[in-house]
Amino acid sequence: MKKLTWFLINLSILINVNLSAQTEQQSGDNPFSQSKFVPDISFILDVSYLYRDIKNDDYNLFEVPGLIHSTLEESAHGHEHAEMNSRSGFNLNYGELVVASTVDPYFDLFGIFHLSAEGFGIEEGYFLTRSLPLGFQIKGGKFLSSFGRINEQHAHYWAFANMPLVYKSFFGSHGLSEIGMQINWVAPTDFYLMFGCELLQGNNEISFGADGFQDISGSIKVSSSNAPNLYTGFVRTSIDVDNLIVLAGISGAFGKSRLNHGIDTDAPDGHAVYADTKILNANLTLKYIIESDRDITLQTEFLNKTTKGDLYYKDSIGTTMKGDINKDQSGLYSQLVYKLSQNWRIGFRYDLLMKNEIVRNSSTLDLPDFMPQLSSMIEYNPTEFSRIRLQYNHDRTKYFEDSHKINNEILLQVNLAIGAHGAHSF
Amino acid sequence: MKNIMIVLISLILTGSIFADELNVVTTYPYIASIVEQVGKDKVNVFALAKCEWDPHTIIPKPSFIAKLRKADILIINGAQLEIGWLPPLMRQANNSKIQVGTPGILDLSKHVELIDVPASISRAQGDVHPDGNPHFHLDFKNIPKISTAIAHKLSEIDPVNKVTYEQNNNAFLEKFYQKEKEWTAALEKLKGTKVIEYHKIYDYLLRRVGFQLVGTIEPVPGISPTSRHIESLEKIISSNDIKYILQDVYHPDDASKYLSSKYKINMKIIPHDIGSVSNTNNIFEFYDEIVRRLIGD
Repeated sequence: MKKLTWFLINLSILINVNLSAQTEQQSGDNPFSQSKFVPDISFILDVSYLYRDIKNDDYNLFEVPGLIHSTLEESAHGHEHAEMNSRSGFNLNYGELVVASTVDPYFDLFGIFHLSAEGFGIEEGYFLTRSLPLGFQIKGGKFLSSFGRINEQHAHYWAFANMPLVYKSFFGSHGLSEIGMQINWVAPTDFYLMFGCELLQGNNEISFGADGFQDISGSIKVSSSNAPNLYTGFVRTSIDVDNLIVLAGISGAFGKSRLNHGIDTDAPDGHAVYADTKILNANLTLKYIIESDRDITLQTEFLNKTTKGDLYYKDSIGTTMKGDINKDQSGLYSQLVYKLSQNWRIGFRYDLLMKNEIVRNSSTLDLPDFMPQLSSMIEYNPTEFSRIRLQYNHDRTKYFEDSHKINNEILLQVNLAIGAHGAHSF
Repeated sequence: MKNIMIVLISLILTGSIFADELNVVTTYPYIASIVEQVGKDKVNVFALAKCEWDPHTIIPKPSFIAKLRKADILIINGAQLEIGWLPPLMRQANNSKIQVGTPGILDLSKHVELIDVPASISRAQGDVHPDGNPHFHLDFKNIPKISTAIAHKLSEIDPVNKVTYEQNNNAFLEKFYQKEKEWTAALEKLKGTKVIEYHKIYDYLLRRVGFQLVGTIEPVPGISPTSRHIESLEKIISSNDIKYILQDVYHPDDASKYLSSKYKINMKIIPHDIGSVSNTNNIFEFYDEIVRRLIGD
């Protein structure tokens, strides 16, 4: 606690606030006091205890074939993951620091930082315009894309402890988090209708890449992108039917994949991809309000990803070969959450990876194409600032060297927030 | 493609052309009722929150964004009552007229005197409001201040109809002061009555009537009752002559019912906003009904 206070104090100094004049009395004495300009600051801590019936070392070798590499392989590719709820035992998932304020009459600014064992990361840092005419708004900086429904929500707002599998499969454990610009427009209609598009750098660890690569011998070379590499577009609409809220959306992400998995090393399995990738999303949320503090929410999203392009790989003597790769993969999740009272919520989620076609050099890989996960949770929220959640996952998506590994896990998660009151969108 | 462009462009423009009536969005129904009295046919008013919901925790429906997108004026209760649900909606509405700091937003809490302003703030005391108790509209003496602030705001944004708004407000005030005398006279006999309330929502009303608040069903604001707290309430009840338990429509009433039947205390459902019980269709009927419920057996 003391450490945290100290950290917040340092941060305030960084953002040019004269903290010595914090108290009312002192600020009265100091003609240059800026203490009234302290931005909204909040800190969210997420910790969990996980029990899994598989040893951590074994679990790290498991993969979701064609979709999620094993943790071990991921680190070999240089992706150091601060993945949530990943180990049996205690997990410090994240400490999230949020700083937000209005810049001037024209901009609002948000900074969301993740403090984890690996370091201090800018999760989001973006501005929003405040005064554009005709219902337009521009967002710029680093932010979670508005693609889909759950992507732009922060983890502490999710109804379950982990990200839906289809999102993790297509975007990695940080979701589609990108540097770029967004423009969105709200139609002046009686019902909610919003259009938006984004121009993004396109450096997603799983699906998109702007950085070029070349192999160890220099015989092949894919140059880096000189411009934003990824485009998204989305439409959302909502109507109310009595006490039922219906929210529906479609979105698409279109970009170049430059993915280097060790083609520039002497690893025999080193490979790389240079391809066009398209990810489409359809989502639907239904919330029925029974009464104040009691409601039922059904939320479902479907995603399809297609990749088409060149594959670079090594033959038996290590010479880089060029081939082609075609992927067509789909997944969905569907969750039902019942808020029983001010304090209690229960929920069920069905995750499914349902289409998994990968064609390499005209030969179709033999991959499982029905991989479900079932999750259920019960949650106690003593107040809106604290949450204790018990979740059970029955995961049938993991494989190790062609053998199916069924994974059961139970986790107890605690999520606490202090500081400024961060209200959430629908 | 061309057709789509035409539709889109006309959609963009319609928002700004048809501005005959002033679009007023209010956070709660009671504000909308006062706006109707002051604005009459010059305004088109919409209240976001439903009258039967807890005013602290309104579900931020996306349809609210559509309403805020077209608003010329947004009138809020303020004193942080909307802090848990309104700010993201305002950001998503992309309406430069109603951002904080622009003339299109009216914060009513700035026009009344707030009570129970805490000297120190800690969430260990529950969901406290640092600016003071935000439920000031339960005191009918605050309504003239609110209606006048609304008349000024409407005149500021729509100066063409300034005289109309002033006349409407004067007519409203005349009628309201008349009713206020009736309510004050009717409540006179309740002065000094000891009561319990569920949440600290009726404090302005209690002060107006001269009720003596001896306890709340919630141990601290925003926290559901615990059995230990109810036991301590029972001790208070046995040493005090408590006449009423005041219960709102949105909190569970089992604790109030339990105490009411065990100690033979009259439990009264008191509306917190217009429409939350029957016969409260406007601001006059709202206080009529509160008074009727308080003085009746």
